[in-house]
Amino acid sequence: MPKIKIPKKSPVLDMTPMVDLAFLLVTFFMLTTKFRPDEPVIVDTPSSVSEITLPDKNVIMITVDQAGRTFFNVEGQQIRATILQKMAERYKVQFTPDEVKRFTVLSSFGMPMENMKQYLNAKEEERKSMNKQTKGIPIDSLNNQLSDWINFGRHAGPNYSIAVRGDGDADIPAIKRVISILQDNKANRFALITNLEGAVPVGKKK
Amino acid sequence: MSDVQQQDSGSEKGGRHKKLRAKKSSTHIDMTPMVDLAFLLLTFFMLTTTFSKPKTMDITMPVKDKVEDKDRTKVPASQTLSILLTEKNRIIWYIGRDDPSETPQTNIADFSMDGVRSIHKVLLDKNMLVINGVQAVRDSVAKGLIKNDKDEIKRHIAAKKAALTKGLIVLIKPDDKSKYKNLVDILDEMLVCNVARYAIVDVSPNELDLIKNTQ
Repeated sequence: MPKIKIPKKSPVLDMTPMVDLAFLLVTFFMLTTKFRPDEPVIVDTPSSVSEITLPDKNVIMITVDQAGRTFFNVEGQQIRATILQKMAERYKVQFTPDEVKRFTVLSSFGMPMENMKQYLNAKEEERKSMNKQTKGIPIDSLNNQLSDWINFGRHAGPNYSIAVRGDGDADIPAIKRVISILQDNKANRFALITNLEGAVPVGKKK
Repeated sequence: MSDVQQQDSGSEKGGRHKKLRAKKSSTHIDMTPMVDLAFLLLTFFMLTTTFSKPKTMDITMPVKDKVEDKDRTKVPASQTLSILLTEKNRIIWYIGRDDPSETPQTNIADFSMDGVRSIHKVLLDKNMLVINGVQAVRDSVAKGLIKNDKDEIKRHIAAKKAALTKGLIVLIKPDDKSKYKNLVDILDEMLVCNVARYAIVDVSPNELDLIKNTQ
């Protein structure tokens, strides 16, 4: 009987297609990823059935955390610098160019102007503890810094929409106060940020 | 012509290289480390990517200027449903005017979908007119009378809602003890139940008493 020769197969397999695919995916994810900025507070937004998505840019974000503290955020380095300069003029605080630069790369902040300089010069860890201790941006009628931030923010660039991101457990007076400040600034249209709820339209949450 | 030339040069080169070429090295390179790296990066980016953009709920508040009494829109009291939000996720609702002289009939409700006291059911019931109107629009979409286009449907529904002036008007009044979540839930309910006109209003002292008395 003739011997059947099994052809010796090389154990090396061609990985090129797999590598191609892997790199394709890597490229895709690299390009689509937008790193989540380090938020000073964790906010658990309530859910709703609304399916309108938040616009990508030109959004002034006001965060209200569980304790009712307010935080302000606007994206874009140029506009941040402009707003800070205006605020500095208004509240007679001098910022060095270095501090302005540091401010432009921050995310949300909840510092009164008095502490802003200190906050900008603080190290990462110090900032975290400052964020824990801060009372948020003042919203009293006597010292309404949030109103100024919103006002300068809206006038710094065209078509800035306003979004309020409130924690589900925040008390109504704080939210009402923010809404009232928005109304004072003639920002009568704004968006409330929510999570998308599942199939159930509305029900008792948890 | 070119063929000949190539052959020529080829044989020449071949002849010259024969001595130099010691051994044919394999063109295969070990790609394993590269693949490892690629997948590592892939995993990293996959895990850090956030696809879900936050959803928003658009709200339009009235302009805060002083409005003359005669300029105010008058609405029939029978059409007005007031929803008072208070502590512990409770809802108290009544129909009619907020008038200290006559205490309206108050009802207790909750946020459940289909409980005995579900506010959802109340709204569905009271807002039948508009809900039927919106349903009529959707029916004509199904029949092909209206183009099946998202914006087109939206426009028709908005027009329908505006036309039904007899529809329910809801006044949402969150008191100081309620939570933001309650407000969003009730606004959500407005969307679900197709309430055409609703507003967020402050609670009057009279209504605070109502809340206190309805335990």
